[in-house]
Amino acid sequence: MISVQNLTHQYDSVAAVTDVSLTLGDDEAVAIVGANGSGKTTLVRHFNGLLTPDTGTVSVDGRAVTDDPVYARTTVGMVFQHPRDQFVAATIGTDVAFGPENLGLTREEIDTRVKTALAAVGLKGRRDERLDRLSGGEQARVAIAGALAMNPDHLVLDEPFAGLDWPARQTVREHLAELANNDTGIVIVTHELRDIVSLVDRIIVMADGQVVADGPLDAVRDQLSEYGVRPPETC
Amino acid sequence: MLRYTPADRFAHGLDPRAKLAFQVGFVAATVTVDQGIGLGALAVVALISLWSAGLSLGTALWTFRAPIALLAAGPLIAGLTFGAPWFDLRAALRSARAGGAVLLALFIAGAYIRSTPVRETQAAIQWVLPGRLGRILGVGVGLVFRLIPLVVEDLRRVRRAQLARRGDARGWTDQAANIGIAGLRRTFGRAERLGLALQARCFAWNPTLPPLRWRGRDTIVVALAIGLVLAAAFGGRV
Repeated sequence: MISVQNLTHQYDSVAAVTDVSLTLGDDEAVAIVGANGSGKTTLVRHFNGLLTPDTGTVSVDGRAVTDDPVYARTTVGMVFQHPRDQFVAATIGTDVAFGPENLGLTREEIDTRVKTALAAVGLKGRRDERLDRLSGGEQARVAIAGALAMNPDHLVLDEPFAGLDWPARQTVREHLAELANNDTGIVIVTHELRDIVSLVDRIIVMADGQVVADGPLDAVRDQLSEYGVRPPETC
Repeated sequence: MLRYTPADRFAHGLDPRAKLAFQVGFVAATVTVDQGIGLGALAVVALISLWSAGLSLGTALWTFRAPIALLAAGPLIAGLTFGAPWFDLRAALRSARAGGAVLLALFIAGAYIRSTPVRETQAAIQWVLPGRLGRILGVGVGLVFRLIPLVVEDLRRVRRAQLARRGDARGWTDQAANIGIAGLRRTFGRAERLGLALQARCFAWNPTLPPLRWRGRDTIVVALAIGLVLAAAFGGRV
């Protein structure tokens, strides 16, 4: 479980997140939506300790992220907006293995995790392919596999559909739906609900660094336009 | 852009320690080579190395086109004299041979990069240099190999964006400054995002590295490397 209490984060003197409190359950599928600059990305980067709170606390399974960032980073997998930014190797297999290698696991365990993660995103048997020769959709799936190989309870995806064409969006969405069905908590950061409305059961709306609405789609639908998010029925 | 490409080639199957030893031997030999026959022999070895890594001569020449241009300028400058006869052919040839030797060493390095995953290089470096120094060097090599292709790609993008808006109509200093400044800014951005990604994936100084497997063919390659070093040390100017 991810728990955020009175979190505030500023970049220099500009407030990005102000006094946010929320809790995310282990098997929840949640969308964090809002216009550009609403604080979505800053908020989720606190979930696994990539940022340090100015005030407030973030904890994962009761452990403060600032005290135990390694636990947070293995429990909360992060997939960045631009997959290429998170690749650290030349081939699919070596990149997906990067995280488990950092955990000091045995080679056999690493191989098992790589195989399982690649199978989960439909890239089984392709571990020796070069990353720079993959399509955008395939790169997005490798990025997800890289996070899955850490065996996380939660997977946080920052704008996972940005820059993908329709078939690629479909494929990524199908794999995310499978993960959600297999009890992996999913947190999707987006400003566009149309791709994920069927995937999530809770929508957190952010504006000016604050949570302004939180609940199922029907409860927040009327407020979406007001905060710069296109309601799904008009997509 | 030269980078590791998986393949079932002879060089890919070698232990990275053997490949590093071979590079050291080859570079030692290039330092002492002074005659055409020695250079010719090294050229044959370099071409075999390229072939064994699945890297064509054309690709290697294109990859190293910038250093080749610099190396080509060497003999012209070396041959110039301040008085008659104005151009010393012997000095130019000497410089050309030295440049040729450097190019062959680059080919060997290219074959290594093409055939060796970064993690294996890291494992080999940490085997050669145990302890903190080896870890720092190994990780440093890995990061450089990761970042350089991204930076080159960014510079190309900046260049293309400049051309798309008739940037070539400006003076070359303006063009170079635009590419340099934009490139630098993007490089810092890339480095920051890569750092964030490494943190997110629990970056560690002592990760599980791939196992290194020494086989008979590695012994042969190291024997060849030792032969090259001995030839360099005792063979005199060949």
